Amino acid sequence: MALAAIPAAAQTAVALRLGSGQALRLGSGQAPRGALPRTDDGKPDLSGVWQVLNTAAWDIQDHQAALGVPAGQGVVAGNDIPYQPWALARKQENLKNRRTADPETKCFLPGIPRITYMPYPFHVVQTPAQVSILYEYLHATRNVFMNVEHLPGSIEWFMGDSRGRWDGDTLVVDVKDFTDQTWLDRAGNFHSEALHLVERYTLVSPDHIEYEVTVEDPKVFTRSWKMSMPLYRRKERNVRILEYECYAYVHEEEARRRAVPPR
Amino acid sequence: MKLVLVLVAALAAGQDRPQTVAGCPGASQQFYPCAKAKARAFNPPRMPDGTPDMRGAWNNPTTSGSQNIEDYPGDSFLGPQKTLIVDPPDGKIPYLPRWATKKQENLQQYIDPFGTCYPPGVPRHVYSPRGHHILQSPGVFAIVSEFAHVYRMIPTDGSPHIGNDIRLYMGDSRGRWEGNTLVVDTANLTDRTWLDIVGDFHSDALHVIERFTLLDPDTIFYETTLNDPNVFTRPWTMAFPLVRMEKGHEVLEEACFEGDHDIPELLETYKLYLGLNPPK
Repeated sequence: MALAAIPAAAQTAVALRLGSGQALRLGSGQAPRGALPRTDDGKPDLSGVWQVLNTAAWDIQDHQAALGVPAGQGVVAGNDIPYQPWALARKQENLKNRRTADPETKCFLPGIPRITYMPYPFHVVQTPAQVSILYEYLHATRNVFMNVEHLPGSIEWFMGDSRGRWDGDTLVVDVKDFTDQTWLDRAGNFHSEALHLVERYTLVSPDHIEYEVTVEDPKVFTRSWKMSMPLYRRKERNVRILEYECYAYVHEEEARRRAVPPR
Repeated sequence: MKLVLVLVAALAAGQDRPQTVAGCPGASQQFYPCAKAKARAFNPPRMPDGTPDMRGAWNNPTTSGSQNIEDYPGDSFLGPQKTLIVDPPDGKIPYLPRWATKKQENLQQYIDPFGTCYPPGVPRHVYSPRGHHILQSPGVFAIVSEFAHVYRMIPTDGSPHIGNDIRLYMGDSRGRWEGNTLVVDTANLTDRTWLDIVGDFHSDALHVIERFTLLDPDTIFYETTLNDPNVFTRPWTMAFPLVRMEKGHEVLEEACFEGDHDIPELLETYKLYLGLNPPK
């Protein structure tokens, strides 16, 4: 592509971006604070493709390896999820029935925070009024509207209602209005529609976000609890999020099955 | 209250279509020359990096939710539509003669792939209903649509398309600024998406060029050219306006597949559309 077609100011920004994964906005007249990339309005720049490197998708707590499940150190603070007694029984039931009961097997939107630590990347697009998180898995999206209140009324969303604000250099996202149709992992950890999350995204280096989420659900847990993990920037050349269209693949299998005449 | 979003066939019945948009006639063939002249004369608001600022929520008031891109009188199921096609001048898709019966076959035998909540492809998602957010930051132009929560992440940093063997429902889009116009080049598409609800189709050789230009602060002049030598006799072009939605409009979640319960029933009568050249 010819850079000549791009306005001069844009070319400078493009050149800086192309020249460095850190994308320091040196031309903006603002001295860089530390080594963190920043947007035009001075906030840490979370833009780009991110992914976790852990086993929380299988089980957010410490777990042994099993067939098809890598062993893993948990992401839950203290490794303890404070279930109410009935809820602990339900979790164990879920674990037993996970092969059919896990909503992931139905290809439904997996909810928050689960989608964050599934083994698929996501792209953060950051503007002052809105931060959108675009996930490869099921082309799920979250629009985080900045500095505005939650929608009124008891609405239930698979991916919740996300409202953001900056706390210093940390993006804080308050998420509520969930369904009770999503789980937290493949080990049957779950929540109700009363789930309330506070996520904190802190850029700690140009290529690492420290992600922390506080989980609150008075119908299921006895107190709030936390998970935390790093998000890693995908550094491959020309990397982009691709597609994982779960239910389309399920339908395709079904169509194949129907196409084969019964013997 | 549980908000269950169900995919309804008659999405936007096509009533209350505006006759004029931004001082131009609403119908695509009359809109096109008028919008082109206005866009040429307009100096748009700009981002800090100097590129035109199209951020915000947008909708497509003169299209009918991807029901029909050619002239259609309307019936009990689909609303009336004036063709979105501005070239060729007859407003019809220039199919190669060998595909003369394929559209009708699609309509009679197959489920619209968008009806099963698969991503609608490019450019269909642009004329799908319920609005889009445009987000811009240096090197990125993103479109996030409410309908079936599809999005496109369009790098504007000069990066090349991904490898030809990777095929995506929404393709691989790369953008560049030509003056005040964002030109988006989309390749890597599949042959599994339709162009509208009535079975208009393409192959996986489809190559799409789109042009986004502000013609006033609240109107984008959108045009798109589709080239697919396997299916069409020549490249052809659609054009229509995208109009800014009310201030503070929020694109929300449409959990399309999660609320779609009629697929097993539909499969008793209709087939899944697995592409122009379906896998054996």
